[in-house]
Amino acid sequence: MSEATMTLTLRVWRQAGPDAPGRLVDYCARGVSPHMSLLELLDVVNEDLTAKGEEPIAFDSDCREGICGSCGLVVDGVPHGPQAATTTCQVFLRHYRDGNVITIEPWRARAFPIIKDLVVDRSALDRIIAAGGYVSVDTGSAPEANAIPVPKDEAERAMDSAACIGCGACVAACKNASAVLFVGAKIEHLTRLPQGLPERERRVLAMVTQMDAEGFGSCSNEGECEAVCPKEISVTNIQRLNREYARARLKPRR
Amino acid sequence: MSSLVRSFSSSLGRKLLMGASGLLLLAFLVVHVAGNLVLFAGRDAFNGYSYHLVSNPLIYVAELALLVLFTAHLVAGIVVTARNRAARRHRYAVKHWARGKSSKSHKSVASSTMIVSGVFMIAFVPLHLWTFKWGPNYPSSADPAVRDLYRLVIEEFRRPLEVAWYVGAMLVIGFHLWHGFASGCESLGVDDRDWLRRTGQVLAVAITGGFVIVPIAIWLGWVPA
Repeated sequence: MSEATMTLTLRVWRQAGPDAPGRLVDYCARGVSPHMSLLELLDVVNEDLTAKGEEPIAFDSDCREGICGSCGLVVDGVPHGPQAATTTCQVFLRHYRDGNVITIEPWRARAFPIIKDLVVDRSALDRIIAAGGYVSVDTGSAPEANAIPVPKDEAERAMDSAACIGCGACVAACKNASAVLFVGAKIEHLTRLPQGLPERERRVLAMVTQMDAEGFGSCSNEGECEAVCPKEISVTNIQRLNREYARARLKPRR
Repeated sequence: MSSLVRSFSSSLGRKLLMGASGLLLLAFLVVHVAGNLVLFAGRDAFNGYSYHLVSNPLIYVAELALLVLFTAHLVAGIVVTARNRAARRHRYAVKHWARGKSSKSHKSVASSTMIVSGVFMIAFVPLHLWTFKWGPNYPSSADPAVRDLYRLVIEEFRRPLEVAWYVGAMLVIGFHLWHGFASGCESLGVDDRDWLRRTGQVLAVAITGGFVIVPIAIWLGWVPA
């Protein structure tokens, strides 16, 4: 099998630390295989940098098979790169032409401070989950799985929302750095199911309060979030979050 | 009441307020444009309509409601925009619309410039009221108690600059509604996006078209003085 190789220029955001000034730096990668992923290309560039005694580019990744939500880069101005329903680790060099320049930046949001280079702190999303994104279960033996009947289509819809991997691309793509697609998916996933219903009002109020405290913006209903979501979470989740929030606010409390 | 205030001070609450006030303002525009089109029914019909409108004591309630809605929508819009800008302190060096990679995004020039088309109304609305509501009060020849608004409208829109300014302003409103109707409904939790977008675009074209046809027809001399 003949192996055509490519030469690509990576224009990467380099920032030494949270408060350090950052800038785009060009790196030329010669003779790379089109079968490599973008992250593998970064690995190759990093080996070079390490060999030269320079600081390698810091970036997040874990499973590298598109399911974990660890990776997340803004590639040529679009979170997770040019392909729909794809995480950054599934962007392959065969999508590019020899000689292309690829610009890579971190997620940018006040709520996602940069730690180093392309690595951002996404723990704001974890704190939103901790505020209410769960179902409380008293200790004791696990309840029998079929004790609570769940209609098949409801289970499927809950699963569609539960597919969110919390990568934060929705926030990165949104002009307002809003996290409502993430929060909506979590609310919808838990509130669709009977197990999540007892805590529904407390949950949505607590999660929205935490979301606001983290400094995310509001939704402009454009849908850029759904367009970049690797799991194709629908903006319907946002509209349902709006309803769920209004319902919780309007419901008289004891 | 305190619960209501608390609701509107959250990010979702502010958008609920914007959506609700925006849709009510849109309902006002529908009534307004329908009233304008009465002009084509002739001088007496138009003056009679405007007389019945302003001589009804409920007009003060309606005017107050409009002022509250307009102010609430504007203030909420400015606050939301300021907070949205603050949510991203450092801009991307390169940023493109994700519409290119999935048709799920409805982002448009209209949706990206809502604050501009909205704030423009601070300039338009007072001038518009100054021209018509507080403009010359011609008594009509049929009944001096009835204002001859028809004459004022014809006089204003025989002036090309006035026509251009008004048509331009209506296009800006149409632009705002192009995204605004669907967005407002979505903020209120309506979840049929494709239907909302189409309906919003039809409404934007219909309302803008209804508003601009009046000055254009007058300017072209299709409406008798």
